[in-house]
Amino acid sequence: MKWVATAWDGLSGHWGVDHPAVLALLMLALLPLLATPFRRGGVPAIALIPEDRVSRLMSAALRLAGMVAILALVLGMAGLHRREQSVEREGTGAHLVLLLDRSSSMDNSFADRAPTGDQESKSAAAKRLLTDFVARRPHDRIAVAAFSTSPMPVLPLTDHHAVVDAAIAAIDRPGLAFTDVGRGLALAFSYFSEDTDESSRAVLLVSDGAALIDRRVQEALRDAVARTPVHLYWLFLRSRGSKGIFDVPPPGEDTPQANPERHLHLFLESLGVPYRAFEATSPEAVGQAITEIDRQETRPIRYLERVPRRDLARVAYLIAALCLGLLVIAKLAERRLMPSRLPDVRASAIADEPRRAA
Amino acid sequence: MSGPIIRPPHPTPLPYRLRWRPEGIVPGAHPGHGDGAEGEFRRHVPLLRQPDPRRIDLRASLRDPYGDLHVRQFAPRRTVPVAALVDLSGSMRFGAAVAGRVAELCSVLALSAVRSGDSFALFGCDAHLRDDISIPLSRRRGLEEEVRARLAAAQPAGLGAAGLFEAAGRLPARRALVFLVSDFLAPLDETARLLDALWRHDVVPVVVRDGAVEEALPNWGLIELGDLETGAVRLVFMRPGLRRRWIADALRRREALGELFARRGLRPLDLKDAFDPDALARRLMEG
Repeated sequence: MKWVATAWDGLSGHWGVDHPAVLALLMLALLPLLATPFRRGGVPAIALIPEDRVSRLMSAALRLAGMVAILALVLGMAGLHRREQSVEREGTGAHLVLLLDRSSSMDNSFADRAPTGDQESKSAAAKRLLTDFVARRPHDRIAVAAFSTSPMPVLPLTDHHAVVDAAIAAIDRPGLAFTDVGRGLALAFSYFSEDTDESSRAVLLVSDGAALIDRRVQEALRDAVARTPVHLYWLFLRSRGSKGIFDVPPPGEDTPQANPERHLHLFLESLGVPYRAFEATSPEAVGQAITEIDRQETRPIRYLERVPRRDLARVAYLIAALCLGLLVIAKLAERRLMPSRLPDVRASAIADEPRRAA
Repeated sequence: MSGPIIRPPHPTPLPYRLRWRPEGIVPGAHPGHGDGAEGEFRRHVPLLRQPDPRRIDLRASLRDPYGDLHVRQFAPRRTVPVAALVDLSGSMRFGAAVAGRVAELCSVLALSAVRSGDSFALFGCDAHLRDDISIPLSRRRGLEEEVRARLAAAQPAGLGAAGLFEAAGRLPARRALVFLVSDFLAPLDETARLLDALWRHDVVPVVVRDGAVEEALPNWGLIELGDLETGAVRLVFMRPGLRRRWIADALRRREALGELFARRGLRPLDLKDAFDPDALARRLMEG
């Protein structure tokens, strides 16, 4: 009996009706087994009728149509629907955290000046390109976090890309003062702490600068990365004149204080997880970098797709209408065997004759 | 079958002839066995062979060059029992055949039998002999009305006509003229057994047929049919091909039945669609 219960759960888990009491009428579906829409005529012996498979098939089909019509009508009246549910699907994509720098320098153009005319601020460019990026990856679960003086959780990992788009659209709002990359990263990693999926996880850090990371924060980050391995991408929006992350400064000047970007790069490399840094000096370079990330993060991913409740009453009525139409056509095609005559008809006709003559 | 059955006026008695000589002692209308003093002239015999001087045929005796005396010999006129065995199984319900043409036929037979001095008996049989629809041998007047009323009131029902065998046992021991009224839809070997049970009698099979299930079939359409005996239901999708097969089947069945009758020297009488007194008269006069 266990499998019965399981099967029932499987059925009732996906399907539902609005008025269960109406389902009692389903018993009426047995009626076509007992009666047909035709007027039954007598025949002296069934053996007079030649054996005919087409007729038998048609008979079975009409009975079936009757049963289906009643079933569909009752289900339609009961308000059959498929419940809202989530379906697990496979696609390619990743769980992605967009970690966005909201420091005020992001509002400048790549020339590190307030944008004028046709120039685009770094945040605007990032917003445009990230919007495209998100649109190209429909199956990703994406979280958004921002950091400035302190980290700001914006959006947890979610399937709802409309919200993600809105969150990205908000990054070109005027920014705040400082850049606290370390705690931002810690926040980004914390998004994955409860993510037990086997999908690929990635953190995309978009910033135009870096700062010193506290040693304790460094330890915390190493710890978090060890627990949940992630892919790290750093999209470094390099302003003109600032130091690059790949440039090796002359000896003596190579201190974290003087070159925070380079040392952040070194620190991220030392975490022991797949890591790539992209140094972008123009919107086009940002585009290329994002294309590259897009190409890298294409592991298969399981994701849940939510399917809204679907009313099936209309479908049920349609099926019922089709079946009833079939039955009506059959009824219209009905013929009867007319026995040659009924005895009293002729007899009374004869009896009438002399009376009329008289 | 609503409304009273208005009987056709003036049922006419039909004369009938036999190809054989009935036995018995009751004087009747048919040339019988043996030699008698009256009746139908048969031959002249010498006086010495039949010493009955009252029947001396003077003219024949004078014509005889040897001068023998000739006595006229007659075949005695005898009655013949006439019986109608009516199949009242469910299949006879089709087209109200029993209350209609079968009742007409039997009433004409009863009238003809009574008018020619013969006795008539009616046996209605479904699975058993139906006593309420049976009339023992009788020659009383008004018998035809009684026969008609009983058959008109009969509700054919039941499975098979095994009662016909019982009726065969109830028939008189001497040869009788038996009208076996049935649709003969039973299996052929059962019909053959029934005919064997009636071996003693002169059997006229009256085949009740209906054109509605043999020829007057629609070309197209759906018909739902229920067997009047077994109640089995079948939906039939009529189309020209099936119609041809159906008609061919009916013809084959008729031929097989005709062969069965022919092998026993019986000539069936078709009672199709309507009772035709002229056809019956022709058939009866053929003997």
